[in-house]
Amino acid sequence: MTPEIGHFALALAFALALIQSVLPLMGANRGMLLWMQSARATSIGQLVLVGIAFGALMKSFIVSDFTVINVASNSHSLKPMLYKIAGTWGSHEGSLLLWVLILTLFGAGVSLFGANIPETLKARTLAVQAWISTGFLSFMLLTSNPFDRVFPPPADGNDLNPLLQDVGLALHPPFLYLGYVGFSIVFSFAVAALLEGRIDAAWARWVRPWTLAAWVFLTAGIVLGSWWAYYELGWGGWWFWDPVENVSFMPWLLGTALLHSAIVTEKRDAFKSWTILLAILTFSLSLLGTFVVRSGLLTSVHAFAVDPERGLYILFLLALSIGGSLALYAWRAPMMEAGGLFKPISREAGLLVNNLILGTATGTVLFGTLYPLFLEAVTGDKISVGAPFFNATFVPMMLPLVLLMGMGPFLSWKRADLAGVLQRVRFIALASIVVTLVIWYIQEGGPLLAYISILLAVWLLFATLREWAMRIRLFDVSFTDAMRRARNLPRASHGMTMAHAGLALAMFGFIGSSAWKTEEVVFVAPGTTIEIAGFDVMFEGVERVRGPNYFADRGTLKVTRKGQAVTTLFPERRYYPIAESSTTESAIRSTLAGDLYASIAEPASEDAELSGAWTLRILYEPLVNFIWIGSALLMLGGGLSLTDRRLRVGAPKRARTTSATPTPAE
Amino acid sequence: MIFAWMVLLAVLSASFVVFPLLGKARDQVIVADSTSAVLVDQLEEVQRDLDRNVISEGEATAAQLEIKRRILTVARRAAQGPDADNRGGRNGLFLAAVFVPLFAGGYYALMGSPEISSLSFADRQAERVEQQKIVDLTDKLYARLVSEPGGGASEGWMLLGQTFSRMGEYQRAVEAFEIVANRDDATSATYSMLAEALINAEQGIVTPKAETAINMAMELDAANPAGVFYKSVALAQRGEEAAAHAMLLSHLEAADGFASWMEPFVQQANQIAEKLGRDPITLSDYAPISGSEPGPSAEDIAAAGDMSDEDRGEFILSMVDRLASRLEEDPNNLDGWIRLANAYRVLGNNTQALSAYERATVLLETIGSADQRHEIVRKALTELQNQSVEE
Repeated sequence: MTPEIGHFALALAFALALIQSVLPLMGANRGMLLWMQSARATSIGQLVLVGIAFGALMKSFIVSDFTVINVASNSHSLKPMLYKIAGTWGSHEGSLLLWVLILTLFGAGVSLFGANIPETLKARTLAVQAWISTGFLSFMLLTSNPFDRVFPPPADGNDLNPLLQDVGLALHPPFLYLGYVGFSIVFSFAVAALLEGRIDAAWARWVRPWTLAAWVFLTAGIVLGSWWAYYELGWGGWWFWDPVENVSFMPWLLGTALLHSAIVTEKRDAFKSWTILLAILTFSLSLLGTFVVRSGLLTSVHAFAVDPERGLYILFLLALSIGGSLALYAWRAPMMEAGGLFKPISREAGLLVNNLILGTATGTVLFGTLYPLFLEAVTGDKISVGAPFFNATFVPMMLPLVLLMGMGPFLSWKRADLAGVLQRVRFIALASIVVTLVIWYIQEGGPLLAYISILLAVWLLFATLREWAMRIRLFDVSFTDAMRRARNLPRASHGMTMAHAGLALAMFGFIGSSAWKTEEVVFVAPGTTIEIAGFDVMFEGVERVRGPNYFADRGTLKVTRKGQAVTTLFPERRYYPIAESSTTESAIRSTLAGDLYASIAEPASEDAELSGAWTLRILYEPLVNFIWIGSALLMLGGGLSLTDRRLRVGAPKRARTTSATPTPAE
Repeated sequence: MIFAWMVLLAVLSASFVVFPLLGKARDQVIVADSTSAVLVDQLEEVQRDLDRNVISEGEATAAQLEIKRRILTVARRAAQGPDADNRGGRNGLFLAAVFVPLFAGGYYALMGSPEISSLSFADRQAERVEQQKIVDLTDKLYARLVSEPGGGASEGWMLLGQTFSRMGEYQRAVEAFEIVANRDDATSATYSMLAEALINAEQGIVTPKAETAINMAMELDAANPAGVFYKSVALAQRGEEAAAHAMLLSHLEAADGFASWMEPFVQQANQIAEKLGRDPITLSDYAPISGSEPGPSAEDIAAAGDMSDEDRGEFILSMVDRLASRLEEDPNNLDGWIRLANAYRVLGNNTQALSAYERATVLLETIGSADQRHEIVRKALTELQNQSVEE
C-alpha cells in the first residue's frame, strides 16, 4: 500500500502544481486576491504531498520492499540501514524525487516566511516556482517513476553502487540539491520581477537570504563531494575538474557573483538588470548540472547515471526554462530604471570587477566542460579537457580576484578615497610579502605561481582581519570597548569576515596540496620500507577481513619518523560480492601540517599475489586540511550572515514605518 | 483501505486549493510595500558607519540624501498602486479544487498498481524457506544423478531441467535437458523443453541450436504444442510472419475443446496478427467454455444423487480434491480454477469457492479483456459476495 500512496500523492502534487502555475498569475494580472493567495496554500500542499511520496519511498527502502522496482534495483536486504535510507536518493528516480522535494520546500518557505512580500510579487514568484515543479513532476511521472512496481518481487535486491556507500556521499546529494534547487526560488523571484516590471531595494533584500541559503548548501554539497573523492577514490586528490564536479562549481561561481551584486542592488539601486540576469543564469547552470548528470551526456567517474532517452526530456525542459526566461529578460529588462551612479574607484566598481571575473571564470569552466562534447558531436573526435587547461586558465583568473577581495571591503560606496585606502593596507601588503619570503625560505622550491598564490592568500587573510579590526576599532579603543563594538556589529559583517578569511585558509590548502605534494606509487613486498616527506613507511603485509556486506584485503603500514613510531595505517581494498565491484578505502594520518595518505591497489599479477606483493600508493599532502577548515568557515560565515536581522524585511524594529506583518524572511 | 487513504489525500489536496476562502478579513489586505522600510534601515546604517568612522562626514551626507530621494520615489509610486479585488474568483477556486482529485485520479487509474500490495523483506521469510528447500532438493537431485552409474535416470534429468527453468537458471536447464536429448529415450517433449530453455537463455532469440531442437521435437511429434509454438516464434523472427500465423491458427482449429496451451497460442497469434494487420482472435472462438474436460461439473454432482449419502459425499470430495491437487501442480490452469470454484459453490463451501475464484481472477489478467470468462468470474464473485453480506 505504501508505494501506491506515494505514487498517488505525487500525482496530486502534480495537479496542485498545475493549478499553482496558472491561478496565482492570473490573479496577479487581474488583481484578484483570492487567486493570488491560493499560491500560499498550494505551495505548502505541494510540499506535504511530495513529502508523503518521499516518505513512502524511504519506507519502501527501509523495509526492503522489492515490489518497488527502484528498491529492487538499488538496495539489498543486507545493506547497512544508513545506506538503505541513503538509497532513497541514490538512484536516478529517487534523486529526482529529492530534487522536487527541495523545490517544494523552498516554495513553501517563501509562502510561510514571506508574509511581508507584496501579494502580487509573491503570487508571481510562487507561480514561476510551480512551473519548474510542473516540469520536473511530469518528467518524473512520465519517464522516471520511482514507484513503478513488479510482481512477483525478486528474491533480493541488486545493491547500491558500493562506491556510494559512504557517509560523505550519502549526504552529498541532499546538500548539493539544496544548493542547486535553492537557486530556483531566486530564479522565480527574478522572473516574477520581470513580469512585474519592477525591482528595488526591498526586492534585493528578499532575494538575498534565499541566495545566501542556497549558496551555503551548495558550498556544503561541493565540499562533501570533494571530501568523498579525497577519502574514497584513493587517488589522493580533492578536485579533478571532472565534468560532474564542474557543473556543480559553475552555479557556485555565478551564485557568488549574484550574492555580491544583490548587495549593490539593495544598497545603491544599481546593477538591477545584471542581478536579474545572474539569478536566471545561476539557476540555468543548476538545471544544466542536473541535465548533464541525469542524461548520461558525459561519461565520467559519475557514470552511474546513464540514460540518454530521459536526457531529451530534460533538454526540452532546459531549453524551455532558460530560453523562456532569457527571452523575457530581453523583452523586459530594458524597461528597468537606471540606478545610482558611482566612480571607478568605489565599492560598486570593486564588486563589478568581482562579478566580471567570476562571470568570466564561469564561462571558462563552461567552455572547458562543454567543448569536448561539441567537438565530439561535430567531428566525432573524443578529447578530454582536464586539469592542465583549468590550471592554465582558471587559476590565473582567480588571483586578481583575491587581490581585490582583500581591498574591496575598505572601499566606500559611490566614491572611494584611494590614497586613504592604500595607506590603510600598506603594512598588510608588507607583512604578506615578509610571510611569503619566510615560506619560500622554508620550502626551498616549487613553482613561482605557488608563491604568488601564497602571497595573495596571506594578503587576503591579513586584509580581512585588518578590516574587521578597523570596524571594531581594535587598536584605537580599549579591548572591552572593541569587543562591545564587535557585538554590535551586524552579523552579516562578521559573516563576510569569516567567509573571506575562510577562502584565504582554503587557499593555503589548495596551494600546499597541489604545489608541494609528494607521491610514491611502488610495488611492495612485506618488509619493504618507503621513505616519503621525512616518514619511513614499512609495509607489513595484507590480511583478509570481513565486513557486513563485503570482504576486504587490509594492508598494515608501520609509520616512523627518525626511528620514532608515529602511527600504523590500515588501507583496504574492499570487494562487494553482490554488487560485484570493489572500492578503495584509503588510510590517512591527518595533521594540520599535512596528511600522510596511503591506499593499496590490486596485486600487479597472480604471481605477485602469491608472494604477498601489492601496489602501494603513498602521498604526503601538505596543508590539505586547511581546505576543509576554510570551507567550514565559508559555510559558517554564510550561515552567520543568514541570521542577520537586517535580512528579515519588516522586522519588528521597523514595523512602525509600514503595515507589513513582522515575520522573518528566512 | 488503500482507497480510503487515497480519498483522504485527495480531499486534503482539494482543501489546499480552497484554503484562501477560509481567510479572515484582516488577511484580505494587500501587504504594503516594504521598500521604504529597507531604505529607512539603510539610513540608520549610514549613521552607524559614520559613528564608527568607517565613512567620512561628506560621504555620509551624500549617501543619506540619495536614500531620502529614493524613499520619496517609493512613496509616490505606492500612492498610485492599483486596488485589489478581495472577493472575486470563488468559482475559479472551486473548479480548481475539483480538478485536482479528478486529474490525479485519472492519472492513477491509468498508471497505478493498487492490486500489488507492499511486501517487506521481513514478511517473506516463508517464501525464502520454500525457495531454499527447492534449491537444496535440486542440489541433492543433481548430486544423486551425477553419482549414479549410467549417468542417472532420464526422468530425473528432465525434472532437474524443469526446476532450473522455473528458477530462471536457463543455462543449467539446457545442460540437464541436453543429457536426455543425447539419449535414445528422448521424446518430443525433451526437445521442446530444451528449445524453450535455449530461447530463454538468449533472452527470447531463437538461435540455430534452438531451431534444431524445435525441428527434432516436431519430427518426433508434429502435434506437440510446445514444438508448434516455438516453431512459430522461429518463423516470425525470421520474417515469415504469415506462415507462423497460419501454423498457429491451424493448430488451434484442430484442437478438440479447451487445453491450457491454447492461451499462449492465441496471444502469440494476435501479436503476429497486429504486425500483419489482421483481426485479432479470441480463445472462445476455439474453446467453448462448457466443461469438456474431466472434472466435477454440476451435472456430475447431481448424478451422484442416486448414491447413498456416505458414498456420494466421498465421491464428490474425492473428485474435488483430485482437481484441487492437480491445480496445485498446474496453478496456471484458469479453467481448472473456475471449475473448482463452481464445485465448491455447489457443495456450499463459499469460502473456498471465493478463494478459488480469486486465484482465477489473477490468471484472468493473462487473457484478452474480450474473453467471456471475465464476465463468468465477475458474476460469480459478485453473487458470492452478496451471499456473504446477506449471511
